Amino acid sequence: MFRPNRNLPKAIKVLFISILVISISGFSPNNQNTKIIPGERHDNQTTDGENSRVIGSGNNIADIKKEAGEMPVYGNWKTFTKKDGLPANKAYCVRIDGDRVLVGTSGGLGVYENGEWRTYTVEDGIAHNGILAIDVSELTGDVWLGTLGGLTRWSAGRFDTFTQLNSGLANNVIYSVICDGKHVWSATGGGAGDYNTYTDEWEIYMERNAPMHEPWTYGVCAGDDKIWIAAWGGGVIEFNTKTKKFRDYIDPDSQMELDVFPDDGVVHDITTGVSYDEGILWVATYFGVNRYDGAHWNTYFDHDSGLLSNFNNFCRAVGPVIYFCTDLGLSTFNGNTWVSYQRNESNASGKVMITNGPKLTDDIKIREFPVPTSICHNFTIGVDVQDDEIWVATSYGVSRGERLKK
Amino acid sequence: MKKKGLIYLFIALAVILLLGVPAHRMSREHVNYITAVEDHPLNCFSCHLYIQKDNFLAKLVNTTYLSPFNLAVSPDGGKLYIVAQEGDVLVVIDSQSDQVLDKIPVGKHPHSVVLNHAGNTAFVSNQWEDNIYEIDLNSLNVIDTLKTGSGPAGMVLSKDEKFLYVVNSFGNEVSVIELDSKTEKKRLVAGNNPTGLAISHSGDLIYVSSRRVLPRPARAPVKTEMTVIDATKQRVKERKMFKHAYMMENVEFASTGDLAVATLIRLKNLVPSIQVEQGWMMTHGFGIIETGEDGRIIQLLTDEPNSYYSDPFDVVITPDGEKAFISSSGIDVINVIDLNKVRKLIAESTPEELKTYSNHLGISSRYVLKRIPTGANPKGLVLSPDGKYLYVAERLEDRIAVINTKTLETEKHIDLDGPSRITMARKGRRLFNNSGRTFQNQYGCYTCHPDAAEDGVAYNMAGVGMGRNVTNTQTLRDVGDIPPFKWNGHNQSVYKQDGMRFSTYLTRTEPYNYDELDALVSYIVTGIINPPNLAYNPTGELTEAQKRGEKVFFRTHTNCGKDIKPKDRCYVCHPPPDFTNKNFENVGSLSESDDSIPFDTPQLNNLSSSSPFLHDGRAKTLEEIWTTYDPGDRHGITSDMTKDDLNDLVKFLRSIRDARYYTKYYSEEYEELLKEYYSNNEYRNLK
Repeated sequence: MFRPNRNLPKAIKVLFISILVISISGFSPNNQNTKIIPGERHDNQTTDGENSRVIGSGNNIADIKKEAGEMPVYGNWKTFTKKDGLPANKAYCVRIDGDRVLVGTSGGLGVYENGEWRTYTVEDGIAHNGILAIDVSELTGDVWLGTLGGLTRWSAGRFDTFTQLNSGLANNVIYSVICDGKHVWSATGGGAGDYNTYTDEWEIYMERNAPMHEPWTYGVCAGDDKIWIAAWGGGVIEFNTKTKKFRDYIDPDSQMELDVFPDDGVVHDITTGVSYDEGILWVATYFGVNRYDGAHWNTYFDHDSGLLSNFNNFCRAVGPVIYFCTDLGLSTFNGNTWVSYQRNESNASGKVMITNGPKLTDDIKIREFPVPTSICHNFTIGVDVQDDEIWVATSYGVSRGERLKK
Repeated sequence: MKKKGLIYLFIALAVILLLGVPAHRMSREHVNYITAVEDHPLNCFSCHLYIQKDNFLAKLVNTTYLSPFNLAVSPDGGKLYIVAQEGDVLVVIDSQSDQVLDKIPVGKHPHSVVLNHAGNTAFVSNQWEDNIYEIDLNSLNVIDTLKTGSGPAGMVLSKDEKFLYVVNSFGNEVSVIELDSKTEKKRLVAGNNPTGLAISHSGDLIYVSSRRVLPRPARAPVKTEMTVIDATKQRVKERKMFKHAYMMENVEFASTGDLAVATLIRLKNLVPSIQVEQGWMMTHGFGIIETGEDGRIIQLLTDEPNSYYSDPFDVVITPDGEKAFISSSGIDVINVIDLNKVRKLIAESTPEELKTYSNHLGISSRYVLKRIPTGANPKGLVLSPDGKYLYVAERLEDRIAVINTKTLETEKHIDLDGPSRITMARKGRRLFNNSGRTFQNQYGCYTCHPDAAEDGVAYNMAGVGMGRNVTNTQTLRDVGDIPPFKWNGHNQSVYKQDGMRFSTYLTRTEPYNYDELDALVSYIVTGIINPPNLAYNPTGELTEAQKRGEKVFFRTHTNCGKDIKPKDRCYVCHPPPDFTNKNFENVGSLSESDDSIPFDTPQLNNLSSSSPFLHDGRAKTLEEIWTTYDPGDRHGITSDMTKDDLNDLVKFLRSIRDARYYTKYYSEEYEELLKEYYSNNEYRNLK
C-alpha cells in the first residue's frame, strides 16, 4: 500500500490524495460524454462508433455556409426522373447550355428548357440512345454528343453523325467529348480522336502512336494548349497541341493495390476522368483522386480526406472547385475545403459533409450537417455547374441544386 | 515526151489511189469509231485542232475570256464592279459612259464582289485561292488579303461593317471575319456546297443558300438546306429544309422584311426519266421564305407547260419589294416576278393548294410579268441604287445587259472589252450551259453538271429495263483523256456520249448537228479543269499521314505479309495521272437492280469534292466504300487494315489533285512499281 511520505508538505499531501481519489473514481476529462451542440465543434465526438472521423453537427444554413467558407454549398435540390419527362432514369452526363440543360441518358437526349423536357433519340438522327458525354462549342454553339454508337453534332436542329464506319472516328463507344476551338476531341473505346471541324479530318491516337497501354480512353479535357486523356491502364496522357508531342503520367510505384509513396504522381493507372481549370489538372480514378499544378501532385483518398469514395466516375473543374462524381455521392473541393453531398438511404433527405482542410488530421475532421433535400441517388455519374446552379446526373435521375446564399 | 508525161500522171494517180483509198478508209473508220456515226464529215481540224489542251496549237486556237459572273454597283450608281471569273480581274465600268475604267487583277477564279456602304472599299472572293482581296476603290489597288476556308463564294458585310461573312462553298461553312483585326473568328457549319447569302435589312439575320442536297439514304427524297444565322450572336439559329429541291444558288431579302426569295430547282430523280412531259427530270423556280415567326417555305415555278426556264441563278428584288428579277441562265432569260401577286396567291391558298402549286406548271402565269431575253448565260444581277436599272452579267458574252426596270426592256449592252472572236470551245461552252437542245428547254448539261462537275444525285435514266441501273452523276472535269464514258463504258468518245444516244435518252429532241457537236466536244475535252486542291494538297508536298496513306495505296502485301495479287492492288486499277486504268472492273458493288456488267473505272482526281461515291452514290463518304460496301475484299484488300490505316488511305485519296500534276513525275518510291505497271500489259487488262 502506498503511504505519503511524512516529510512532504501538507498541501502536496492533500493534492496527492485528491488525485488518487479521482483516479480511483474513474473520472477523466477524456471519458466525459459531452453533449453535441449543433453548429459547434467538438473534438473526439462521434455519432458513428465505427468511423471515428465523422462528427455529428448542426443543420443551420448559416452554420453550413460558415463552415464551408469560400466553397459553394448547394441545396434546395429538385429531382427529375422519367416520370417528370426525362428520357430514362439512368443519366450519364449533364451539360448546362445557357438557358437550357442537356442530359444524356440511356434512352436519349433530354433537354430541359422553360420548365419542360424534350427528348431526342435515334429517330431524330442521334447515333445511339445511350449518350455518355456532352459538350457545347463556345465558338459555334453546336452540341456534340458522345454516344454508344458514334459522335453526333447537333446544330440548330440538324443532327450529323460520325461513326467508325463513315468517318475517321476511332471507335463508336465514346466516353467523353470536349470542344477545343475548332477541334473536337473524343475519348473512345478504341483510342482518342481529334476531329478538325475546319478540314473535316481526323487524327486518332492509340497505343500505336501515343504512350497508351491500350486504346481504351475514358476521359478527355483541354486547357492552355494541352489536351489530357484519361486512359484506362495508361494513367493520364498529355498532348501538347503546339508541339504535337505526347507525354504520360503513370502511377510511379506501379502498385495496383497500394499507394507506396504519397503524392508521388497519379494515384492509379486506371483513370476515369480528367478536368482542367485555372492551371490545375484534376484526375479521377477508381482508387482515389489527384490534383496536379504542373509541378506537384496531391493524392486524396476517402480515408484521409473529405472525399466520399475512392471510386470516382467523373470529375469536372469549374474555376477553383472540382466536382467528383463518386459511387457514394458528390464530393467537391477547392484545394482547402471539401464539401460532399450524400443522400440518405431511406428517404429524400441527405447530408452535407464539410472538411475544413485538404487532409484529415487530429484537428481536421469531417463535419456533417443533415439537410432536408439531396441528390436523387448516390451513384453519381455526371455534373455541371453554371453560376449558382448545379446539375448532377445519377444512376436514377438528375438533380438540380441551387447555391445556398448567406 | 507526151507519153512520159502520161506515164508520170498514171503513176501519180496510182500512188494517190493506192495510198488515198486505204487512207480514206482508215480515216472513215477512225471518224466513224470516234463519232459513232457514219456520216460525220472527214475534217481532221474539227477534232484534232480544237481538242488540243496545252500546246502551241491550243494557244493559237483558244483564248481567255473574261466571263463576267457577279457584280456590284457603287452607292451613287456611277460605277459597276464586275467579277470576271475566267479573266481573274475585277472590271470597273463607268455606268454612264459604258467605259471600261480598269481591270484590277484579283485571285484565281473570283466569285463575288461586295462593297462597303461608303463605296470606297470592295471585297472580292477568290474561289480558287481560298482568300478575299480587299481593294481600295479610290486607288483601285489590292490593299489586303484575308484568309478564308475552302472555296470562298458569296459574301455579305454585317450592318455595322465590322464583320465580313463569307460562304466557303467547298468547305460547307461560313467564315466570320473580323475586319478590325482581319482575322477569321469562327466558322459556322452550313449546308452542302453553299454559295449565296443575304443579310436582312434589319441586319439580324443572314440566310445562306446551298446548291447540293444533304446526305441521305440511297434513293431517299432530297432536301437542301437554307442556313439561318443570327448575326447578333454569330451562331446558326435555324436550318430550313427545302424538300425535293436543290441548286439554291442565291437568295435575297425583300426590303419590306416579310419574305426572302431563293432560286431553286425541283428535282425528280426518284422515278425513271420517262415521263417527258409535265415535269420530267426537274422543274425550275424559286422559294419564298416567310421571315416571320413560324414562317413557311413555299416553292413556286417559273416554268410553263411547254417551256421551262432552266438553271435559275440570281435573284434581286426592287427597293419597294414589289418585283423580283431572276436570271434563268440555262435559257438566256430574265424572269420578272410580281411579288405582290405572289403574296396574294400565298395568302389566298390553303397549304394543300400551295403544295400542288409547287409542281403546277400553269401557275407561273399568275405572277410572271415578263421574260426578258438576254445574251448567253445570264448570271449575276444587281439593281442600280434607285432601282431604275437592272444590270445583268451575260457570262458567255463578256458583256453586261442594262434593263430598264419600268419598261422591262433591254436598253443597251456594255462591252467589257473581252476577246472579240468566238472560239470553238466557247461555242461549246455556250451549248453546254444552254437547255435549248432539250425537250421544252427543260435542262442543259450544266443542270446535272454544275460548274461542269456533278450534282451529287443518282438518276434512273430511262434505258432498257425500267427502274434498273440507277447511276450517280459523274464529274466532267478533265475527262478528255479518260475514255470510255458512262458507268458501263459503252461510249468510247465524248462524241458518242453526246451524240445520238444523248438525244435519244436524255434530251429527247434532235441531236446536235456536227458543228455543234464538235464545239461541245471541244469545250468538254479542253475547257474544263479541276480547281486546285488547296484544302488537302496545296503544294504537292504530302503530309506524314498522306504519305502513310500513299504507302497503303501502293502496297503489294497485306499487314500480315501476304502478297496482294495485282488485280487487288489500288494502283493497278487507279494508276496516275488520272488514277484510272480506263478499263472495266467488277468491284462487287452491283445491286439487285443493276445489270451484271463491270463498270468503267472512274478517275480519282479531286475526289474530295465529289461525294457521294460508287456507281449509284450509295457510299456517302470515302470510308463507307470499304467499311460498309466491300464485304468480300473485292474493291481492294482492306479487311486486314487497322482503323488508322484506313484513315491514312482516305487522307491520301483526298490529297489527289488534277491529272496535270502527275503526268511527268510521281513519288520516287513508287516509280518502279508504276514502271512495272505501265510495261506490263497483263496488269492493264486484268478483269
